[in-house]
Amino acid sequence: MRRARGFVVTFVVAAILGTVGTAAAYHTRFVADNCNYAASTPTSYITRDGSAAVALRARYEGYQWAGGCWNDNDRDDSPNDPREDPATGGEGGDCSGFTFKVWRESLDQSSAGFEQWGLLRYVHGPYTAAAFKAGTGAPNVTVSKTALIKMDALASDTHIGLIYAANPDGTDQIIEAKGEDYGTGVWTRTYRGSSSYSGVRRTGWSS
Amino acid sequence: MPIAVLLVGISVSAAAIVVGGAALAQRSPLVPGAVFEATHLPPLLVLPGEPVQLTYDVDCLAEGVDDAEARCGVAGSLYLRARGGGDFEKLPLQQADARGVRQLTASVPDSFVVAAHGFDYYAELERVGTNDRLLVPPGGEAAPYQSRVLSNAIDVNIGAADFSAHRRGARVASARWGDDTASVGLEPGRSAGHLGASAFDVDEAGTVFVLDQVHRRVLRWARGARLPARVPISVDGGLADLAVSDDGSLYVLESVARPGHAGPLVRRFDETGRELDVVETAERSPSQIRVGPNGPMVLEHPSHQWTPMALDGYPLPPNEQRRRATTGRPLRSGGEAIVLRTGNELRIAVTSGDHIVRSWRLTSATPLAEVQLAEAIGPRLVVVVRTFTESADEFRVVVLDQHGIAQQFSVASADWAETAPLSRFRLVGRSLYQLGSNATGAFVDRYDLEVR
Repeated sequence: MRRARGFVVTFVVAAILGTVGTAAAYHTRFVADNCNYAASTPTSYITRDGSAAVALRARYEGYQWAGGCWNDNDRDDSPNDPREDPATGGEGGDCSGFTFKVWRESLDQSSAGFEQWGLLRYVHGPYTAAAFKAGTGAPNVTVSKTALIKMDALASDTHIGLIYAANPDGTDQIIEAKGEDYGTGVWTRTYRGSSSYSGVRRTGWSS
Repeated sequence: MPIAVLLVGISVSAAAIVVGGAALAQRSPLVPGAVFEATHLPPLLVLPGEPVQLTYDVDCLAEGVDDAEARCGVAGSLYLRARGGGDFEKLPLQQADARGVRQLTASVPDSFVVAAHGFDYYAELERVGTNDRLLVPPGGEAAPYQSRVLSNAIDVNIGAADFSAHRRGARVASARWGDDTASVGLEPGRSAGHLGASAFDVDEAGTVFVLDQVHRRVLRWARGARLPARVPISVDGGLADLAVSDDGSLYVLESVARPGHAGPLVRRFDETGRELDVVETAERSPSQIRVGPNGPMVLEHPSHQWTPMALDGYPLPPNEQRRRATTGRPLRSGGEAIVLRTGNELRIAVTSGDHIVRSWRLTSATPLAEVQLAEAIGPRLVVVVRTFTESADEFRVVVLDQHGIAQQFSVASADWAETAPLSRFRLVGRSLYQLGSNATGAFVDRYDLEVR
């Protein structure tokens, strides 16, 4: 059942990605000019702050629905591309693609191993925010929201963000790919207390 | 002369843009691609004799390295003094690792935790082998963290939430989602959830202002009005917070910094929507803006400090904001309100100068999330905090006085759409207002508090 669900998610994401490159309305060539499809590199371990460093390198970069490729020049190289269009070829990941890459997950949902993806590797991964929320995939489990720590995630049916730090007032600093108008960055959020959100953890961190 | 009048006077003809300073900040002023950042949860309120361990999570990666495990070397020092002045004592920060998170740590000597007023501190962190430095908080010695000792806090227990008995407020404003003149915009939600009715505020006359960020306007309901007036404003269109000053100025805190700048902008508009001035915030992700006793102020992150946006009517550049930051939220009464949530406990203090004049330790059988509001009504303090389980949540409204709880009730979270993070409640006089939303639209409800 879990595999079947994973297949459906993969299919849907692949279908969305398949439309990239056929966009007629928008014109950024960020993906075409910069991104690659190189193989990932299996790695034996990753620490939580190593993962945070990967995430921070995406900060100030763009957002692209269904995307997964960005550079590290601290600006959105495809600003103002249309919202809600997965086919504009713009810079950045979306929330779930960003999480997949930062958590160094595998395209094989049955594998819990770590895969290093280059910043410019165009990859979204097989999971939507809702799939992460459900703990879909071998590396991912749901966790009580009171037990979350740095680089665990809070996921709803439509969004996922990673916990970067706690604030004294009970809010969290979340690192996330938020949307076309926001790009990728660290913001104060109140996801933890919201009943729309659940706690998710990538397993297997090195300590 | 009121500061607001001065502000109008100096900047009515043209927007004055104050850009980022070069002072040390949380974001290291390195070339793009470098990562050197620290986060720290300051123990703002401690108990007498409580062990205090200061920890700094440090993320450091050399530029151009696509390997997250290729870490930089980091080191640092802590500067500590008893509250009330004197010289800072320098202590080394020790390397530590907690569940895969690299930290620099130091224990605060017991003598500082029993001192009458607590202690002040800041840290200086360095990337070993470079000249890159971080001050935490970024104001350093000029605006250190202030940790106070709670000696006589009143213990209150709000029990367990049942998520069903919600008080209903009086609806004072509402608008359906949409794009017409009386509707409020909703950011499309297929890719990232629903975002809408970004923030609100209410003035002393009961006029409700809702920031409709999608349409770049403020919707304004005069008291008792069914339909809003529209005030177009020039904002970036993303989630933003809103505060209205006594002179009718509209302050909007945006949430996304422009390329090459450290912090987002605060924009001030007059009541017709004309932009009066613009100032850049000192840090990357401020979470709220309020009008304080000396004008607009912002709660910054990652420092968690309140910083003024103007002084004597003049916008303050970021380096001056950092130098004038405070640990607590300045109150119109002259003191500060300080809040620290730790697990299911909330520590709250109201200060006057160096002294805590009232303090409470609020505990809950249900987990506590964010504190949306902590403001004074005379000698009382109104606190709105979210309680939650894995599948339910609500806001608990608690009025605290010298005996404990003077009043408490729960309201529905009503958060179908996302707002700016701490934009859901406002306290005006003895009325509490809530910005809520459902699948139909956004609304503002009023709750009259039963306090004399």
